Amino acid sequence: MIVVKGLSKKFKDVEAVKDISFTVNDGEIVGLLGENGAGKTTTLRMLATMLKPTKGTAFINDYSIIEEPQKVRKEIGILFGGEVGLYDRLTARENIEYFGKLNSMDEKDMKDSINELIDKFQMEEYIDRRVGKFSRGMKQRVAIARSIVHQPTVMLFDEPTTGLDVTAAKIVHDFILQCREEGKSIIFSSHSMQEVERLSDRIIIIHKGSIMDEGTIDYFKKKYEKDNMEDIFIQLVGEKR
Amino acid sequence: MSITSIVYKKELLDIFRDKKTLVAAILIPFLLYPIMFGFMGKGIKGTTSFMEKEDGIEIAMIDNDDSEIGEIIKAQKNIKIKESDNMLEDVKAGKLLLGIEIPQGFDENIATEQEANITIVFDNTSQKSNMVMSYINEIIDQYSKDIVTRRLENKKIDTNILNPINTVTKSPEKEESGFGKLMLSLMLPMMLVIFASSGPIASAVDLGAGEKERGTLEPLLTTQASRMSLLWGKFLAITTMGIITSLAFIGGLAISMKTSPEAFGYGVEGTTFALEPKALIIIAVITILLTMVFGALALAISIYARSFKEAQTYLTPLSFIGMIGFTSYFIEPKNMSTVFLHIPIVNTVAIIKELTLGIFNITHLAIVFIWMFIYIGLSIAFARYMFSKEEVIFRT
Repeated sequence: MIVVKGLSKKFKDVEAVKDISFTVNDGEIVGLLGENGAGKTTTLRMLATMLKPTKGTAFINDYSIIEEPQKVRKEIGILFGGEVGLYDRLTARENIEYFGKLNSMDEKDMKDSINELIDKFQMEEYIDRRVGKFSRGMKQRVAIARSIVHQPTVMLFDEPTTGLDVTAAKIVHDFILQCREEGKSIIFSSHSMQEVERLSDRIIIIHKGSIMDEGTIDYFKKKYEKDNMEDIFIQLVGEKR
Repeated sequence: MSITSIVYKKELLDIFRDKKTLVAAILIPFLLYPIMFGFMGKGIKGTTSFMEKEDGIEIAMIDNDDSEIGEIIKAQKNIKIKESDNMLEDVKAGKLLLGIEIPQGFDENIATEQEANITIVFDNTSQKSNMVMSYINEIIDQYSKDIVTRRLENKKIDTNILNPINTVTKSPEKEESGFGKLMLSLMLPMMLVIFASSGPIASAVDLGAGEKERGTLEPLLTTQASRMSLLWGKFLAITTMGIITSLAFIGGLAISMKTSPEAFGYGVEGTTFALEPKALIIIAVITILLTMVFGALALAISIYARSFKEAQTYLTPLSFIGMIGFTSYFIEPKNMSTVFLHIPIVNTVAIIKELTLGIFNITHLAIVFIWMFIYIGLSIAFARYMFSKEEVIFRT
């Protein structure tokens, strides 16, 4: 479970995130919808303890991101969009193992987890090959496996389908839905309306660091009397331009 | 297994699988000196060997009277006399190495103890011509001394009058090993400082900015590993690579010294470069400590850079700092000012120079070691500061 309380982040004179609060329950996908520079990545980086909040706090499974960052990192898995961020000269297995070890897994648990992931993502054929020459889809599977090797209960996805072709994007979408089935709490940031509409149980619209509104898709459609999330988003964001 | 050792092992595995880094960190350093000094040695050999060849020195000589000195010069096996209508032009054009003009009545002037002149034409911009000039001058000097001796003998004067003082030289080292030690004390400090400063650069670029460029830094920061463990693992891997690079340079240098001794200015038989084991160990430790300083600095700068290219640009000045190693040419360890022991890099040069000359000054060693640990502490603190700054880590 994720509980965010009055989280703010200031970079010199720029307030990237302004006093945001929200909750994500177990087995729930919350879509963080906003334009580029709206504060989505900064919010996720704070939740992942990569950035220190200027004000406010958040709790991941009751662990404070400020007081217990290491425990928080044990609970979360994170998948970034754009570059998959793998070590080309290591094999797929070595890449996943490295992250397992850095997450303090013991040898047996790590081996079992990796074998499970190999089956789950059908990586048998290439698990012991260096990832440098992999296709984007293969790399995506390895990156996903790496993000969950330590079996996190909370997943953060930062624009995970940016730059992906249809097949690779489908792998990510299926994975997000699978995480929900496993009861994980999921935050998923995107600027694609269709993607957010398709995957999210709840949507938070963020603009210039502030939450504009949040609720289910039905809530938005009823409140703004529009059928299309794109129109709703433009209306909300447009009012604040 | 600690996080630091996990990171250290992974980084070394990654580096050793990277052909680009291996070429830059091991192959080039290993081959650089043998190739460079090989060419230099060949060049030096080429410019000096002609002197020993039969008919190797081509000169022109005008000597209508067939003077005695003219005959002595002609009798030299390595000298070939060529015809020339205009010696100055031919020397200038490189057709001749030198021209000698012995005027008429030269021997007569010598016999009657009058002034006798010889005109020599040579190209003062040509190394070969200058060498021939010295060689001919030596022959003329020797001839001149013979004449003086003959004249004194004719006047029944003891020729020892020409040598009022006879010098006898004594040195603490045998001539050959003294020369070897001098060469070593000039070259070793300079080379080791240069290696220590440039050795860690290639791997620091890969482990800092490379991590950002590949997009692997962010996932790394989301693991349970603390930033300090990541920093230590990377720092130790960079230091290891720096030491390996230094060893590759030293290996290449040792090979060059064997294969191209001419390039090092020591052709002397029996020249030795032996160091006392104690000195060797202390020098190795100092070099490793200095590599650690440069490794931490290189990592701090590399993590600040946004990309490989930017890191390479920022790190170039670091290798220039290593050039301070050239101070080994003007530091005289036996009577140097202690101020040198407090100047960064210069103190390393000074202490290595002392050790190569067999001087073990405990106070000097203590001062330099204390400074080395301070430098390491400061450079690691700087790297740590950079690693903990959000603006640095997320500077993309």
